[in-house]
Amino acid sequence: MKFGGHLISAVIAGKATILMSVVFFFALSAAEITAQKRFSRTFPAGQNVRLQLMNRTGTVTVEGWNRPEVSITASLESPAANIDPQTVGGTIVINLVKDNAGRNEVGNVNFTIRVPFTAMVDIETKIGNLNVTNVRGGLVRAYISSEGDITLTNIGASAVSAENVIGDIFFDGEIVDGGSYRFSSTRGNINIRIPVTASFRFVATAPSTRNISLGAFVNPNTNYLGDGRRVVGRMGDGSATLSVTNQRGSISFLRR
Amino acid sequence: MMFDDTQHNACEKCRDLMSGFLDDELEAAEASMIREHLSACGECADLCAELSAILEFCGEEPSEAVADAAPPNADAMWKRINNVLEAEIKAPPPSLPETRRTWGLSFFQVSAALACVAIVSSLLTFVAIRNYNAEPDTVMVTRTVQQPGIVDRVLIRFGFAESPAEKLERRLRERQAAIDYWNAKVQVRRMQWDRTTREAFDRNLRAIDESLFEYTNILQSDPEDQLSEEMLDAVLNDKMNLLRDFAAL
Repeated sequence: MKFGGHLISAVIAGKATILMSVVFFFALSAAEITAQKRFSRTFPAGQNVRLQLMNRTGTVTVEGWNRPEVSITASLESPAANIDPQTVGGTIVINLVKDNAGRNEVGNVNFTIRVPFTAMVDIETKIGNLNVTNVRGGLVRAYISSEGDITLTNIGASAVSAENVIGDIFFDGEIVDGGSYRFSSTRGNINIRIPVTASFRFVATAPSTRNISLGAFVNPNTNYLGDGRRVVGRMGDGSATLSVTNQRGSISFLRR
Repeated sequence: MMFDDTQHNACEKCRDLMSGFLDDELEAAEASMIREHLSACGECADLCAELSAILEFCGEEPSEAVADAAPPNADAMWKRINNVLEAEIKAPPPSLPETRRTWGLSFFQVSAALACVAIVSSLLTFVAIRNYNAEPDTVMVTRTVQQPGIVDRVLIRFGFAESPAEKLERRLRERQAAIDYWNAKVQVRRMQWDRTTREAFDRNLRAIDESLFEYTNILQSDPEDQLSEEMLDAVLNDKMNLLRDFAAL
């Protein structure tokens, strides 16, 4: 009986432990759920709508879609930021820096925004990644004040600008005739994936690494300058301009 | 009395009082001083003698010739003359005819002046067009080491353009001032940031400063390296942007 009594006690203790663990797990999950907030808003939009977003920290993803509306969803870490989108003329403005000015701690805000294919996209953040895909409006601008990767895929805009300090930049898209394309980083890798039939003049500068790979874009119109720190060249009639600067990283041109 | 000041002042004073002296209207002391001055100053003595002769002549009875020449009604005539003089004094002064200044320049001088004007205006036009067409920093630069051309050197020499070193120095000064301004703001704000933000800021600032250090070193050894100058400019701009953007947090 004594042995049986010990057994029962052990079983009860085990069950209690399991029960406590389950309760603790659910309590933690509940805490996480309450810490994450969601924001969602949809705006009707014309084909030439412009999205202007200034984030503080977090990842921003913008996707083009075939609908005349802009859908904004965001997940907010605690302490949650204020989000107050405004429509000014044909521009949808989300300015988290201004909306949260004077607040000492604001958690990450991760945005997923869908815009018409032909929208103009102008996004920036202090820290975090920026992704833009399937957009062929007049402008795509992605600016990171400090660190984060910029990924621009399937872009058909005539003016593209991507800039960060630490982080990679990847551009995959068309080079529109007469367009202007500018990519700049201090430390990271810049990869440009464009059609080999594209027509543009370019300047690629990588002063520290001199690591500039033109791949399929080498032609007699390319010149290496400054002991290989800079490459300039022309493809086709060169009606578009492409400027790539990487202070302490590599530059690669890839065939699309 | 100011007779002791200078000879010039003494003569002036003497001439002022001479009329009274000759009419015997001066006080004894003044008359004595005039006498003393006349004994010392030949010029004033001559003047006094002439004046005395005139007065003497005027004081005499008019001679026959003079009496014949005088008009029959001298008083009336003097009044008419007086009236005419008063009317002229009251009337506004007639405007003076414009005097045309003649320069009297020779053909050579005019040609030289025109040539100078043409050269200066050409230079100014050239400088203006140059500045207007100056490419911004971000535009493609195909030269990495750029020496100023002959025209540039002439412009620099005559102060119409900045030398590359002056230009760089000015730009660096401007940028540094902006950086200092934003850095002061960041120092105020950074204690309010969370740890992640502080670390990210410091990391990125270090990355920029590394490039800054590198280009500064290159330019110290080779001030003509235009590519490094351009990169230094860009990096300073990046630093300013980083500070400005984080000062807003």
